[in-house]
This record gives sequence, structure tokens and C-alpha cells, in this order.
Amino acid sequence: MLMLGLIVLLQMLVILRYFGRAGAEVIGGSILALTLVYLWISTHSLKEGHIKLDQKEMPWLYESIARMAKKAGIRMPNVYLLDDYIPNAYSFRNSIVLSMGLFEVLEKDEILGVAAHELGHIKNRDTLLFPLVVYARYLMILLMAVALLLSHSLFAKVISIMFYAMYEIERVNFFNDREFQADETALSLLDRPLSLKEALEELKYYEDLRAHVKESALPGIEPSIERKQKKGIMDTHPTYDERILRIIFAVEGASIRNILK
Amino acid sequence: MEPHEFKLTEEGIRAVLPPLEAEIMEYMWKVRVATAGEVYESIKGRHPEMRRSTVSILMNRLCERGLLERRVEKGRGGMRYVYTITATREEFEQKVVESILDALMNNFKEATFAYLSKIKK
Repeated sequence: MLMLGLIVLLQMLVILRYFGRAGAEVIGGSILALTLVYLWISTHSLKEGHIKLDQKEMPWLYESIARMAKKAGIRMPNVYLLDDYIPNAYSFRNSIVLSMGLFEVLEKDEILGVAAHELGHIKNRDTLLFPLVVYARYLMILLMAVALLLSHSLFAKVISIMFYAMYEIERVNFFNDREFQADETALSLLDRPLSLKEALEELKYYEDLRAHVKESALPGIEPSIERKQKKGIMDTHPTYDERILRIIFAVEGASIRNILK
Repeated sequence: MEPHEFKLTEEGIRAVLPPLEAEIMEYMWKVRVATAGEVYESIKGRHPEMRRSTVSILMNRLCERGLLERRVEKGRGGMRYVYTITATREEFEQKVVESILDALMNNFKEATFAYLSKIKK
């Protein structure tokens, strides 16, 4: 995160150096505009189909999340169910969204594994940091465009492209690391840590099957399903396999440490 | 709900639906309303390798085909998706026959007429 902040700062200095007062106005105006966009989106982020979970509705889910939130040292998040048959989960601010599709394909403790991962994002302050990184990226694109289109200095153009490329690489690494960290936090919150691994395995299977299902190939396709591990270098999420492997190492490592004690 | 292909070598509704989807529809026509979990429980005995994900994907594909409808229901254990049939088995079979005969009449009108009058005699 520090590196990302440093890159943005250096890009701002380049703009200030080559555009002076006008540069300061561009930076100030861009930050103000992006802040307003963020505020508007964050207050309108709940789409139709979000149903706020009531404790009486699903006590097992509500109480388990409350227990994990307490263990994580954070206040009870708002939990929303999303009317979407595709299994999915995400978090924002102090809220967790679980799609109804999750309840169709996962067992209860696997759903808690997914919820624990989202609690991990909240505990690690990712729900605050992620929007910051995303909007800082827009700022970087704006500032690079200003340098490329309006600057007469070749150095300003080249260095702006370089800073933007550095920001992108650092951003991808940052998001990937935070996903792993959210998994690690989840493992410390779950009564049965391997439930997160099992949830990821099922979600991987679901995605593979859904992507490969063809009209006539249905019955035969199941045993041969195997996800092609073609992770793009700019993907902000690690693959399911990478996450599953790390969870196995973390859980097995903890077991071995306990035996050695 | 209209079938798009007819497999001459398959029997019953398997001629117009893939085998697992046909099996799910056989169950759905019996019970009319069910969750994906209930369907999974009903067929996992015959398909031990079957996973919940498979049933969920297939049932949602049947929704896209117009054979099932999905709605949110508050029941025991919380909110869940419940699936209902959009037509009875008889209505579906009638639609299949209509679609096939329409296609035959559009493409092979005289031959179809000739054959129909032959089997009518």
C-alpha cells in the first residue's frame, strides 16, 4: 500500500513540476471529482435484489457471523442476501453480501467459510483500501493522459507511462496479497478451517462446469472437468488452486506445529 | 419451452432433453415444486458422483429453457430458491409433437401429408 501511495505521489510531483499551478488545479479537480463519484457510488451501491438478513430469518448464519465478527474484534457487519442464483460473495464498508446461489451449492459450514473470508476483508480494512486503490488508479490514468496530451517534455511523458505501469503491477500484487490475507484471517475465525478450502473447491467446480457445459455434452463432461489454470498476469484475484494450496499449507502447518509443541 | 432438437435414437423426453435434465424434469413433474437440494437428494442415489453444483446449474438451465420457474421463498431454515414446473408433462409432450410436426410441414410438406394419411388409414 505504501508503494502504491508513493507512486501516486511521484506522478503528482511530475505533473506539478511540468504544469505548475495548472497542474495543481488538475490534481485537485481530479481528486475532488473522483471523491464525489466514490461518494455517489458508495451510497447507491446496493442494487435491487439485496435482502438484509434478519437474525430470525437464518439464526445459524447470523449467529455464526456474529461469533466470528466478535472473534475478529470487529462489530457485527450488515449481512445481505443477493437474489442471484450464481454463487458469489463480496464485502463493502461493514457489509457482507452472499448470493442465494451459495446456499444452493454449498453446505452450511462452507457458507460460513465464504462469510469468514469476507469478514477477513473487513477486519484487514480492505473494504476501505480497495476503493482507494481503484480510484487512485483512475487518478493515475488521468494524470498520465494529461502528461501525454499536454506536456511538451518527452521525459514527463515517459516517466508518467513508467509510473502508471509500476502502479498497475503493484496494484495486481496488492489485490492478490489481500485475498490471501483474507483467507488467512478466515482460517483463524473458523471452527473448522478446512470448510473454506471445501467451499473453494466446490466453487471452482461450479465455475468449471458452468463454463464448459454444452447443450449435448452434459452427462459426459462431469468426470473430465478440469479448470485450465490460465491466470492472466494482470488478474487481481489469485486462482482457486493457489488459494486452496495455501489453505492446505496453513492448516497442515498449524497441525504439525501443534504436534511438535 | 420449445424443443430445438430431437434425437431419433433416444426414448421419451430424452429425445428432446439431455439425460440429466430429463431425469430432473421427470422428478419435477412428479412433485411440481422442489428446491435444488431436494432434487439433489432424489437423484444422488442413482448418481453417486453427482454434486449440488451440477443440479443447481442444470435446474437454472431448465429455467432458461422455460421448463422451470425460480422464485425466492422464506421457509424452514431461511430463504431459498424454490423451482416450479411451467407446464405439465402432457402439455410439454403436446408442445414437442406440435413443434416437430410444424417443422416437418414447413420443410417436407408433401411427404409429411402423405405419411400422415397413410398411418391414418
